[in-house]
Amino acid sequence: MPGPASKRRIPVSQPGMADPHQLFDDTSSAQNQGYRAQRAPSGLGYPAASASPQAAFLADPVSNMAMAYGSSLAAQGKELVDKNIDRFIPVTKLKYYFAVDTMYVGKKLGLLVFPYLHQDWEVQYQQDTPVAPRFDVNAPDLYIPAMAFITYVLVAGLALGTQDRFSPDLLGLQASSALAWLTLEVLAILLSLYLVTVNTDLTTIDLVAFLGYKYVGMIGGVLMGLLFGKIGYYLVLGWCCVSIFVFMIRTLRLKILAEAAAEGVRVRGARNQLRMYLTMAVAAAQPLLMYWLTFHLVR
Amino acid sequence: MAFTLYSLLQAALLCVNAIAVLHEERFLKNIGWGADQGIGGFGEEPGIKSQLMNLIRSVRTVMRVPLIIINSVAIVLLLLFG
Repeated sequence: MPGPASKRRIPVSQPGMADPHQLFDDTSSAQNQGYRAQRAPSGLGYPAASASPQAAFLADPVSNMAMAYGSSLAAQGKELVDKNIDRFIPVTKLKYYFAVDTMYVGKKLGLLVFPYLHQDWEVQYQQDTPVAPRFDVNAPDLYIPAMAFITYVLVAGLALGTQDRFSPDLLGLQASSALAWLTLEVLAILLSLYLVTVNTDLTTIDLVAFLGYKYVGMIGGVLMGLLFGKIGYYLVLGWCCVSIFVFMIRTLRLKILAEAAAEGVRVRGARNQLRMYLTMAVAAAQPLLMYWLTFHLVR
Repeated sequence: MAFTLYSLLQAALLCVNAIAVLHEERFLKNIGWGADQGIGGFGEEPGIKSQLMNLIRSVRTVMRVPLIIINSVAIVLLLLFG
């Protein structure tokens, strides 16, 4: 029906507009109209197919009622979950971290491997909320860490397979072990941030995102180790370790040492020195963990 | 590499038990880490020591009852499944 379709499209903002508050292009209304128009004629066709036994089952009034009851129960359950899901998992906040596009991923991966030429590390803000990652290459995202983690588990399985050490439960063990180290890191950093009383806007999810960036270097190292042996592994891992170190220092400095480092002045005073030590400790833990989680995969 | 999420949970349970076992009067007061010995000035930011003392006191207060339940569950599970 062209009438309701055009009425529904007008309030939605044009796709492709550079509005930082809009995380995703809204194409749902056009598709919904198309699907609903398609489903209506096929629904009318079902009771007409009386030759099949399924139509006889559907025509039985008791099972009809049972189906209607079941579908209404499912709809109620879905409503309940939708209403309460926001209490347990901050879905809207998570959506922000996945609002990425190909250009952002490409630029961010380049930044992770070669952060030495990038000048401006500040995250841009739009009326007190950080801009979505697809508009600012400095913003943290969860897409790259999630993909890198899964790729790491698969590459670990590949590496173990080439050495005849593979068994399916080892994959689960690798994944669970890497997750456990990540959790331990996050808890340790949260504890030290609490002890040093840093007033920062670094949320837990931000921290998980930053700590997940090291999986990219680990994947590169293990793949090079598979292709070129130990020499390639050490070279690439060494390079990625130094890059991640520099990347973490430059990113965390702006978050933890906000007032002092924003102008680039040398930090003085006991409190700022403690924060600098904390930043360096977090950044130094990354290469250590990168080595620890991959050295047993390359022989 | 047997460091799994389950062993992390076990280690966390043991650590919280260790914090809960520290006795206020017999031990913490004697080393100067008692709950009422950490009152600093209001204008200053609390140092690391007073933050730690606050943390220990809060963990002991909050986790007293849940620890009983979690410990019992852990004991039963370890007895049944090793």
